[in-house]
Amino acid sequence: MPGFASRLSRVELAASVRMTIKARELRAAGKPVITLTTGEPNFDSPPHAIEAAHQAALKGDTKYPPQDGTRALKEAIRAKFKRDSNLDYALDEICVSNGAKQAIFNAIMATVDPGDEVVIPVPSWIAYTQMVQLCEATPVLVTCPQNNGFKPRAEDIDAAITPKTKWLILNNPNNPTGACCSAEELEAIAKVMRKHPHVWIMSDDMYEHLVFDGFRHTTVAQIAPDLKDRTLTVSGVSKTYAMTGWRVGFVVGPKNLIKAMTVMQGHVTAGISTVGQAAAVAAMTGPQDGVDEQIRAYKRRRDVAVEMLNASPGISCHKPEGAFYVFPNVAGLLGKTTTGGRKLNTDEDVCLALLEEQYVAAVHGAAYHMSPYLRISTATADEDLVEGLRRIQTFCEGLT
Amino acid sequence: MSLTSERLDRIQPSLTIAISTVARRMIAEGKNVISLSQGEPDFDTPRNVKDAAIRALEEGQTKYTDVSGTPALRKAVAEKFKRDSGIEYKPEEIIISTGAKQVLFNAMLSTLNAGDEVIIPSPCWVSYPDIVTLADGKPVLVPCSQNNGFKMRAEDLEAAITPKTRWFMLNNPCNPTGAGYSAEDLRPICDVLLRNPHVWVLTDDIYDSLVYDDFKPSTIVAVEPKLKDRTLTVHGVSKAYAMTGWRIGFAGGPVALIKAMDKLQSQSTSNPNSIAQAAAVEALTGQQETVEDMRRVFEERRNLVVSMLNQAQGVHCSTPEGAFYVYPSIQGCIGKTSKGGKPIKDDEAFALALLDEEGVATVHGAAFCYPGYIRISYANATEELREAMTRIQRFCQGLH
Repeated sequence: MPGFASRLSRVELAASVRMTIKARELRAAGKPVITLTTGEPNFDSPPHAIEAAHQAALKGDTKYPPQDGTRALKEAIRAKFKRDSNLDYALDEICVSNGAKQAIFNAIMATVDPGDEVVIPVPSWIAYTQMVQLCEATPVLVTCPQNNGFKPRAEDIDAAITPKTKWLILNNPNNPTGACCSAEELEAIAKVMRKHPHVWIMSDDMYEHLVFDGFRHTTVAQIAPDLKDRTLTVSGVSKTYAMTGWRVGFVVGPKNLIKAMTVMQGHVTAGISTVGQAAAVAAMTGPQDGVDEQIRAYKRRRDVAVEMLNASPGISCHKPEGAFYVFPNVAGLLGKTTTGGRKLNTDEDVCLALLEEQYVAAVHGAAYHMSPYLRISTATADEDLVEGLRRIQTFCEGLT
Repeated sequence: MSLTSERLDRIQPSLTIAISTVARRMIAEGKNVISLSQGEPDFDTPRNVKDAAIRALEEGQTKYTDVSGTPALRKAVAEKFKRDSGIEYKPEEIIISTGAKQVLFNAMLSTLNAGDEVIIPSPCWVSYPDIVTLADGKPVLVPCSQNNGFKMRAEDLEAAITPKTRWFMLNNPCNPTGAGYSAEDLRPICDVLLRNPHVWVLTDDIYDSLVYDDFKPSTIVAVEPKLKDRTLTVHGVSKAYAMTGWRIGFAGGPVALIKAMDKLQSQSTSNPNSIAQAAAVEALTGQQETVEDMRRVFEERRNLVVSMLNQAQGVHCSTPEGAFYVYPSIQGCIGKTSKGGKPIKDDEAFALALLDEEGVATVHGAAFCYPGYIRISYANATEELREAMTRIQRFCQGLH
């Protein structure tokens, strides 16, 4: 067989995908598996979004769309940024992609050369480092310790930046920790970034609406308007509106960068599904009360998860500001042995043992560049979540 | 600091910008422009396909699917390849992407290292060389002359292969020429490929249900099963089912290659739109009469267009086997001056003058790496086509 590209050897299948597949196999074998791995809301897409897609299909809105998104969706995105962040973007400063993942991929592919560096606070979503490595560039990881609420410290970012740095990627709220920087914390980072005018800033705000306890989400371009012309802000409808399968993400930023990303997208996928775009318009401009209801559910589940995890011997769980994840520390479990006789040396061992002995699927922290932790998704029906957490307690109690 | 990455800088700006800018301006000014430049069927997506999408919406199929597509769609694609081409693929040998373009992008990024060569018969869809270039590869264009029906000769393929050749990319039937390779045409090409086991083979058969007269389409693996373990057979629903805006393409190929592409897709876009996937299942497995209805209409239009073009002075148009394009030579018009006083120095000048003076939008051959020709899409209403051809005849008549 002819060969493959060396760039591909630097890329791996996401660990969350691998764990989800394993969980599915066990379930197919008849095991009562509870899946706490997925980054996907368990709610239905809004009925008005479904109706809009329905109408779009019927009225023949099924032709090639513009590569950077339909005008109607770009108008809705413009209004969204004005409403949520008081940010003004022109239509040519907006690009719609096949999920926020593609928006980020376009940005990296369009700007990053081999040997460039990209500063990524960790724990982080694995796709950032993978995309950087795909471009033969170097991810520079900045640790965000639990005792700082898993948030990046401005001085650590400052220290990580070199003349080769091309991007800083912020994820607010963060996957996998749920941590979200306040306006003051972002201001401190902005202050550092002013010293480094050669660095682009990406703010991935995918989970922006999912914040709790009166926390106010802000974003870099909003609190540091002087950085707006080198800041890309990413979001989408997947998490806020439970529309993961529709694959609609978007990005706003300076016109020249958006143009380069649109050219890149033109070669990767061209425009994205028209029915998905029509549904996204309806989701963003229609009634928003479903969102509030979901936020209440995620908060309730976060509180239950943090409480039950902290009641599990050997686990300590920080209470995050947002998203639908918690990221408990499992250092207290390492070195122990499970009831099934498995020795736990790493967080991956914990994950595999939990799945095989208690049929609970979670993702290990190493998959997000920080060990020993687990990522638990609260985008799970309450009763399943509680049952899953109960099994984790049982698992911990059985360790010797 | 350069904004864009070297890989993006290597891509030439689109050659059709000048023409599409003028066309848009004329349309905005209220001029009567007949567009023969589009690469999409003018038909509506079949009703049964829309209904399937609506059912999927109502069933809440709005969640992430497997990165490489739903099991139902991969099964439907396997059945399609079996039914239409006589090739057996297992579901794990199939990947679904956001348009066939993404399939090509995945394949090239997964396999090309810097300096690897990809043989592309020209005229060709410009995305082929562009995607190769993006993936650090080197497109090697092999001209296929009109007097050979725009088809590649086996000896020219053989002469182009070097130790650095990684892929041979065939588009059958071809955009922009409509040239289709029969089993007899493919046999000598397969023989060359058999002698060169270091070469991957990509056959993009997306137009193969749109073939005319008694032409029987064929494909590499059907002609030479021994090439199956290094051939990627690319297809999609866009052209056959008038589903361009849904953005669903797919491919069958060896597991190792499909896995590599899946890995790449998992880090760039994840799955294609879930609703569009459900629609594609129905397109492939439901009634196929609309395909035949469209095919018959396209055949009539092709005959009309070819015959009227050959009555235009200085134009010479071959009768292609398939797709919905013709690719007439306008070399007999070059060096003349239009009625409006524009010198026709090349194919782009011809296309621009034709647009400006007669309101007919076409794409010039240089945009397909093969100047001296224009591409005419006959995916337009028959009466519009007749009017456009009359205008072309008048335009050519006016040249002096």
